[in-house]
Amino acid sequence: MKNAYKYLVFLSICAVSYQCKKDKLEDTIFELNEVKLYPSASAKLKEKTESQWIAVVYTNLFQQALSAGDIYRAGQCITSIGDKELAREVIISNFMNSTSPLPVIPSDADMRGNIDKFISDTYERFLIRRPTEGEKQYFRNEITNNPTRSAEIIYFSFALSNEYLFY
Amino acid sequence: MKRREFIKKATLTSAGAMIAPYILPSGRLFAPTGTQIAPHVVLVMYAGGLRNQETVDQLYLSQSQYTWNPTPSLNVTGNIMPNMLSGAAPTSKVVYGVGTSGNTPISPILSTPIQSQGVLFKEVNAIAAGHYGGSIALLQGNTNLAQPLLERPKTPTIFEFLRKHGGYKATDTWFIGNTLTNSVPLYNHSGHKDYGAKYGANMFIPGVTFGNQGDQFLKDAKIYHPQNELSPMYKMKYFLDNSYENLTSNNVLDTVGNTEAEKQQIKNFMRTMFQKKQAGTVIRPPQGGNDASTVGYALEVMKEFKPAVTVIKIDGPDVCHSNFTSYLRAIHAADHAIGYMWNYIQTQIPDMANETIFIATPDCGRNLNPNPILDRENNFRAFDHSDANTRRVFTLMAGKSITNEPDKATGPLSSTSPLNTDAAITVGHILGIEQEMLSSGFLHSQSQSLIRKL
Repeated sequence: MKNAYKYLVFLSICAVSYQCKKDKLEDTIFELNEVKLYPSASAKLKEKTESQWIAVVYTNLFQQALSAGDIYRAGQCITSIGDKELAREVIISNFMNSTSPLPVIPSDADMRGNIDKFISDTYERFLIRRPTEGEKQYFRNEITNNPTRSAEIIYFSFALSNEYLFY
Repeated sequence: MKRREFIKKATLTSAGAMIAPYILPSGRLFAPTGTQIAPHVVLVMYAGGLRNQETVDQLYLSQSQYTWNPTPSLNVTGNIMPNMLSGAAPTSKVVYGVGTSGNTPISPILSTPIQSQGVLFKEVNAIAAGHYGGSIALLQGNTNLAQPLLERPKTPTIFEFLRKHGGYKATDTWFIGNTLTNSVPLYNHSGHKDYGAKYGANMFIPGVTFGNQGDQFLKDAKIYHPQNELSPMYKMKYFLDNSYENLTSNNVLDTVGNTEAEKQQIKNFMRTMFQKKQAGTVIRPPQGGNDASTVGYALEVMKEFKPAVTVIKIDGPDVCHSNFTSYLRAIHAADHAIGYMWNYIQTQIPDMANETIFIATPDCGRNLNPNPILDRENNFRAFDHSDANTRRVFTLMAGKSITNEPDKATGPLSSTSPLNTDAAITVGHILGIEQEMLSSGFLHSQSQSLIRKL
């Protein structure tokens, strides 16, 4: 009897401590899965479908989702053009020209205000990984040595990169 | 030792400097062995399954409807392809034209039908009975029994032969398709590991590229400055691609390898097309539906790029599965579109006038016997494609260096009849890579250029 009482007390403590476990903010509020960064580019082996690429590039550029119907129609545009890279380039150019909604791109002043942060954020935003030191240095030089290099053009190059076609 | 190394390096450098100028854009070292017969070829995949009875046999309703419904008014013969074939039109029961009940034939555009300008191979053996298999067989010069739908052709297409062995650039080779269905967007290159996308053709499916979808996602593309904006963008892209090169070097990416200059030309062309569409000035044959529109955009491509090879897919007559009246109208309208195209090339595209060879051949024929479906308008019987009659098609050829000759291959189909897959080697022969194609081992064993059969 005494053992049963002890057992019940133990179970109650376990139940209370389970209920008190703190949820992660993103799990409870946004219901989003935690995204793990890739350790390197070589960890991505699967090619995105045209629809996946459209959905992801739109979300990356506008920070909102494209409707399923629009993803389908944009995918048809890529299918209808022989040079898929050219098709993607034209679609990105079209998105960059959008007035409603506007693409969410840091201002050039913000980019130049903290170049390292911009580079790291851009790699994480588009390629879901951190840049290597060599990559950081390359883009640091690009931005520093070219006063007219804009965040938009850098975003464009990431969205059109081959690595961005894979996950 | 140092002297020896110096001599070795100096020799290699000199050899490289001598060879480099001869490396073609495709990476090929030498130019093709053959000589060009003409610098331009237009190959029309003429419709989705055509019976010889209604085309080159000019039997109109007599062996399609009268045989099964011996009403005297249906015993009518005649030519419903006045731009392509010589022969008198049907004199009664005219339903293949435009206007009320289709009773007004479209006036011919060409004063001399293409048959009277060139050569008709009347009985040609179609080696596949379906649209996808039949169409890509024309491009591959062969057929693959294991070829599924919705998958790239298994062996190289004429586009890849031309680019790999002939050194043609991407904008020299074009495929203009009429639909996204029936695997049509897969025609522009094979999935073969030694050929594939990097040797593929440029392609538009104009009804989509310049249709509502294109209006939404392509039309308003921002115009970037080629040197100040696009060039650095490409430079950064190439840097990013370098770190991923080991994973994409095996030709996995579906990109046909246009140069930056070619891409710029294509983007400018697309912008112009959207402007012309808005202004209602895109080239278009006066009559016809989607096939006419496809032919019109193909002419726009020819006018801009003057391609070595332009392949056009039309398939309006495939409505024959369920509506024979519409099938007749679609054949007649496609003939009108081809007449318009041939006339336009000769009169409006100076670089291609008198320098182009035209080839038209169907992907497959159609059955001898009808299916049970009657169309509402005339109670005509419809036809599918699967029996021996499906093997009967034709090939029509005209243009530079092709003089008018009496019809060829006029007897019944036999083991020595031309194949519709001869279209591929004929294009290769015209553009100077016949030997390279024959020695590739990918062609049908009986493949022979139709020009060698003249």
